[in-house]
Amino acid sequence: MNTKAWLRWGGWGITLLTILGIGVTLLPYFWMVSSSLKTGAEVFELPIRWIPQEIQWVNYPDALSRGSFGTYFSNSFIVAVAVTASNVLFCSLAGYGLAKFRFPFRDLSFQLILCTLMLPLEIVLVPTFLVVQQFGMVNSYGGLIVPLAVDAFGIFLMRQFIRDLPDSLIEAARLDGCSEFGIFWRIILPNCKPALGALALLSFRDNWDQFLWPFVVAASDALKTFPLGLAQMEGIDSAAYHEIMALAVMGMVPMAILFLCFQRAFVRGIALSGLKE
Amino acid sequence: MGRKPGSPKEKAAVAGRFARLWQWTAWPSSLSHRNRLCLAGVFFVVPALIHLVVFKFYPLLEAFRLSFYRYDLMSPPTFAGLANYKSLWENPLFHQSFWVSVKYMFGVSIAEWFLALGLALLLNRAMAGRSLIRLAYFFPIAMSQIVVAMVWKFMYHPHGLVNIILEFFGVDRINWLSTEETALPSLIAIGIWRGIPLFGVIYLAGLQAIPKDYYEAAMIDGAGVFQRFIHITIPLLLPTILFVMVISLLSAVKVFLNPLVMTEGGPNGTTRVLPYFIYETGFAYFRMGEAAAASVVLFVLVFGLTLILLRLLRRGDVQ
Repeated sequence: MNTKAWLRWGGWGITLLTILGIGVTLLPYFWMVSSSLKTGAEVFELPIRWIPQEIQWVNYPDALSRGSFGTYFSNSFIVAVAVTASNVLFCSLAGYGLAKFRFPFRDLSFQLILCTLMLPLEIVLVPTFLVVQQFGMVNSYGGLIVPLAVDAFGIFLMRQFIRDLPDSLIEAARLDGCSEFGIFWRIILPNCKPALGALALLSFRDNWDQFLWPFVVAASDALKTFPLGLAQMEGIDSAAYHEIMALAVMGMVPMAILFLCFQRAFVRGIALSGLKE
Repeated sequence: MGRKPGSPKEKAAVAGRFARLWQWTAWPSSLSHRNRLCLAGVFFVVPALIHLVVFKFYPLLEAFRLSFYRYDLMSPPTFAGLANYKSLWENPLFHQSFWVSVKYMFGVSIAEWFLALGLALLLNRAMAGRSLIRLAYFFPIAMSQIVVAMVWKFMYHPHGLVNIILEFFGVDRINWLSTEETALPSLIAIGIWRGIPLFGVIYLAGLQAIPKDYYEAAMIDGAGVFQRFIHITIPLLLPTILFVMVISLLSAVKVFLNPLVMTEGGPNGTTRVLPYFIYETGFAYFRMGEAAAASVVLFVLVFGLTLILLRLLRRGDVQ
């Protein structure tokens, strides 16, 4: 075979690989949506039925009635919004301070902040719980939200972005008599919208998804988040897969919408985090 | 920057600043421009720093301290010396758990390193419908862990989609999550499947940062695809590669949700990863001291691995 033929076959091979990869990536989601619209009996029916015979919308209200899912969804939403807001505020403040000011122990502080990336909740679970207990915040919204309110990753992301903003922007505002906080609020924040958007999206995703922390700290049903509610319902009736899938689809929808609207910001946020020093 | 922190000169400077800070509270106008800026910087960073000290560093120290105590949340803690570490060492379940975690960590992340790079190379090529293809591959990045856990539990069901597809190829039905040999590999497969798009994005950003002229120059010199990959792509991508190595290990070691809702650590403890062990010891058996000791072991594992990889990262930067 000559080089040209090799190239052509290689090209076809790569196209095939790409399509196969997309299939493997998206098939579980397709299967989830399809199963959520089947009857309980149809779910495991053979030969396999990719599209339900008759669309069962009723699965959705049925599934919702299996627990106080309205509460779970609104709890997840409250936690995600609150944590995202505080993350955006505190991380951009700290990122600005670390990027554009000189003060003693600045570099040490930054290194310490980065070190906390090695301390996920999974490692400091027990003592964090004890700290929250000392504050009397177990089984409250405060306990759910406050320990997650600042994330080192966000500080890193904001610092990387703000460092590339020109100093002259800040100097000019300072000469005009703008206060330091005024500079942050009126000059820095409007100029790092892309990074703020990316941080907000990633933070919202992570906290919409919080499982371990609410699992430990939320004792009452009224404080449970959606992931806890879904896991609990699955534990009670693990045979009702059509309804479990309906709930999973509902949990997926908000993130899917956010992703489709802000795909670029998502990708940019993750890419920013990967850019080296 | 500039002065080394901790030097006498620096300490004197800090003391001087505190003195001036005191003055400043009395006579704001007496603070020099430079010191005012310095103070403003501190004020910006302090809120986040306090939070991290209270909810990260203090808990870490507390974990060390607690690991020498016996504590059940009800009665006050009593000093126990190394008893917690000793009982961990003698507990076969802890040994099993440690190795399950190590297997999961490397099983997931090593596959991710290569497959995510493959995906990034694939998506970096010019092809028809590239943005749509990227959309399809990156969609899972936005998905929740719990949704992923539920749909895979459903697919791993003895009558689920995985077995249906395998039966089509003549493979016998397997009860993936309740068989000792397949439970951990099943969870590893999910971890890999979930991680590839995420690390693919990071690799792709790294690839796009490599200047095109390098490739053009190499092509003029007659370098083939493979040679260009080895001599340009790999060396220039090295910092990204090491970054992905660190982050993928860190994110694999903290897996908790999948073992909890899919296998409950079973069958026979074959999927009881360390975070699950810590959770169980602390919050199901109320042996907080022992859980803290296990946390310390997990921290040492993570810290050691990160340190080794960061060393490599430094070296990669120097070259």
